[in-house]
Amino acid sequence: MARTRLLAVPVALSVAGTAAMGQSPGRGFSPTGTYTDYALTNVRIVTAPGKVIERGTVVVRDGRIAAVGASVTVPAGVVRMDLAGNSVYPGLIDAATSVGLPSPTRELAAQTVAQAGAAGGGRGGRGGGAAPGGGRGIPLPNGAAAPPAPPIVLPELDADAEAADMFAPTADQLSAFRTAGVTTVGLVFNGGIFPGRVGAALTGSRNDGRLGLRSSAGQEIAFGTKRGGAYPSVGIGSYAFIRQSILDAQYESRLDKAFKAGTPGGRPANDPFARALMPTATGEMPAWFVASKERELSRVAEITKEMGLKNVVVVGAQEGWKNVDALKRATAVAVVSLEFPAVDSVSGRNFMLYGAGKTGTADDSSLARDVRGNAGALAKAGIPIALASFGGAPGTTFRDRIRMAIAAGLSPDDALKATTVTPAQLLGISAAVGTIEPGKLANLVVVTGNDLFASGNPIKHVFVEGRLY
Amino acid sequence: MRIRITDQSTRAALATALFSLAIGTPPLAAQDVAIRNATIITITNGDIQNGTIVVRNGKISAVGQNVSIPVGIRVIDGTGTFVMPGIIDAHSHAALENGINEGAESVTPEVQVQLKNDDPVIYRALAGGVTAANLLHGSANTIGGQARVIKMRWGMPADSMYFKGAYRIVKFALGENVTRASSTTPADEKRFPATRMGVDFTLHYWFEKAKEYDKEWQDYRAGVKTNPNLIMPRRDLRLEALTEILHGDLKVHAHSYRQDEILMLIRAADDLGFKISTFQHVLEGYKVADEIRQHGASASTFADMWAYKVEAWDAIPYNMALMTERGVLVSVNSDSDERIRRLYQEAGVGVRYGNMPVNEALKMITLNPAKQLGVDKMVGSLEVGKDGDIAVFSAHPFSPNTMVDYTIVDGKVLFDRSQSTTLRKLVTTANPGGAP
Repeated sequence: MARTRLLAVPVALSVAGTAAMGQSPGRGFSPTGTYTDYALTNVRIVTAPGKVIERGTVVVRDGRIAAVGASVTVPAGVVRMDLAGNSVYPGLIDAATSVGLPSPTRELAAQTVAQAGAAGGGRGGRGGGAAPGGGRGIPLPNGAAAPPAPPIVLPELDADAEAADMFAPTADQLSAFRTAGVTTVGLVFNGGIFPGRVGAALTGSRNDGRLGLRSSAGQEIAFGTKRGGAYPSVGIGSYAFIRQSILDAQYESRLDKAFKAGTPGGRPANDPFARALMPTATGEMPAWFVASKERELSRVAEITKEMGLKNVVVVGAQEGWKNVDALKRATAVAVVSLEFPAVDSVSGRNFMLYGAGKTGTADDSSLARDVRGNAGALAKAGIPIALASFGGAPGTTFRDRIRMAIAAGLSPDDALKATTVTPAQLLGISAAVGTIEPGKLANLVVVTGNDLFASGNPIKHVFVEGRLY
Repeated sequence: MRIRITDQSTRAALATALFSLAIGTPPLAAQDVAIRNATIITITNGDIQNGTIVVRNGKISAVGQNVSIPVGIRVIDGTGTFVMPGIIDAHSHAALENGINEGAESVTPEVQVQLKNDDPVIYRALAGGVTAANLLHGSANTIGGQARVIKMRWGMPADSMYFKGAYRIVKFALGENVTRASSTTPADEKRFPATRMGVDFTLHYWFEKAKEYDKEWQDYRAGVKTNPNLIMPRRDLRLEALTEILHGDLKVHAHSYRQDEILMLIRAADDLGFKISTFQHVLEGYKVADEIRQHGASASTFADMWAYKVEAWDAIPYNMALMTERGVLVSVNSDSDERIRRLYQEAGVGVRYGNMPVNEALKMITLNPAKQLGVDKMVGSLEVGKDGDIAVFSAHPFSPNTMVDYTIVDGKVLFDRSQSTTLRKLVTTANPGGAP
């Protein structure tokens, strides 16, 4: 299946540019239908974390922010919304969700699985049916005349699958995101080994057209296994398999360079799996590791150092507060899941309760505070963070959980940064979203009162790409 | 007799210190401790009656009868107790996660086991006086994965529990487990090798491949000096690990039972040019002790596992004593989350069956496994300069009435029977099926 590497994201920074792109059919994606244009007046504007216009106007045209400021002339023909007593924020970004994505462990047709097994476990597997102990497959007889079968791609090893292409949420799921003020999501598969590439999408209605904003934002690396007893069949095998796959991609890259330079020697194998991993193996594309427990973070640090990976992102990072050192060693950005782990599943809980002389239940322990304080602790330790609902349901509780993280020590400014600017950079869409600036997509949240994260302040309106919800 | 902490404030300080460790802050000065008026079993320098042992900054600073205790450090009154080196288990699968075996293929030395540092079994092992263990890959494969040698630093992050300086160890296996003799799944039956002769062939096949691979890299390293355009070869983690075995950098611990398979592996190793470092289980080792010694291998066995499977039919409890008599370095191991708590009883079997001298029997759970894991310069006996890894028993470790009162790792008291009730309750709650 041919996949688009970069969805055409209209990221022009001027209104004129935007208009030009909107009028060029066939060159990039244009939202369908016509826009209603708006002017949000008399509103408190938080243009970016820490940057506030106490009373001003935001003009939205053709799905983009046309103007923002304390004294902006409202053009004729736009719908005026007087929002005195309200604040407008950049639409929030949930940096990682698997909602709307197919599972990397989805069932395949029975025949496909059998073929994959015979071929040594599908693409990305070691061949080696003929090697004793090297695989369980059956070797082809010598001189077999049949042409090779097309490669079978297992979803757990579909390294160039694009999450942004595969994003198919229900209307309810999209609405749930918007309810919490989330206008953009980072798309990260849930499971597999190399299940594909991270992308970004909008949370507007599907009827408005394509939601995908950005693909190939990163190569996801999870520590799952192959199915049916093929190698790697357990997590320890998966760790070795991931290292070998990265090494193979690095080797492919060496051959590729030599081949292009005309250096005598081997030529590239052109294995699609190795080639899909090349950008990450050589440090061009970020590596997004899924890891949460303290010891899993250490493993990410080890693999990162051993393989010389750059631009490392850790998704989950639920026990980051216990292993800041590993995140530093990997120079990782933490996409912190707000699905707080059950306290009794946190590494070392028993010991800590003992050490602290506590005998009560987990809920009233200091550990519950530590678990919620994860994001705050990481921010204080200087680890760049983005917040995510990864591992949980979409939307509705996202804001409540941010509030809990703030109550446990995350500063509101850091919380806003971790749901706007940082994830926008991480997903490669900071030219289009993350702040309220002219030229950017009109992704906006209007909340009653002065504080998006304060309890009791209802979200009044959400705009996604200029559409009002 | 019960032992009391002499200084009440120590308890509070200890709790604080342990809590700090658990949440990853640097340890407080809790690595100093002294035990006085105890019977000290040094293993290397006899037993000391009414002796004192002092640990400072995690290392043993003094052992003897006339030892002065520095002011201000925690002192345990050891009257009536027996103090011995922390017990070392040369074969365990405790506290591992994400699989014990990568059994999809029969040759997987590129794999390494992964430590589950908060597994309560670590605390239970401490309750049995164990301070270090060799956490091995399982025995499903001809050449399995790499081990982790750990110290039982309960409460510390996984990274901090690895025993620095220990051998890098890889698991080999022979016999019924590798050939899937007791398997009931069709997938297992398909896997090569299915017989002992297939195991022999598998070893030869892969080590010959590894030699080719080694040569390819040697040629590259030599050639690139004069031709910088040479393309660096593919790194293959599996073959790379096999070359490390050939070069002696990765030590082989081979799961084995029968004398014929032991001799087969010795012959294969001699043919292919590598060494077996330790035969694990080695239940018929008493039949081929001379051959094991001549190869330069040691043995780590069970106290008594007669006939628990067909290939264990000739297992006898005299195995430890007989191999020791023939000059083989012998340890006794647990291979079990249950037996890891009472390795001292397992070692005692050697005294009853085979009349091993008491100190020789104790070596099988201290100095000898330390040698097998490459850590005997640091642990395994109570000597000045070695690590402060100590078990304090309420009676002689071979007494049927004995219990571990304290287990100390790097000078930190990580098990204290008088304070264990709270944790024991929690550990039981977390694992309702497990024994406290």
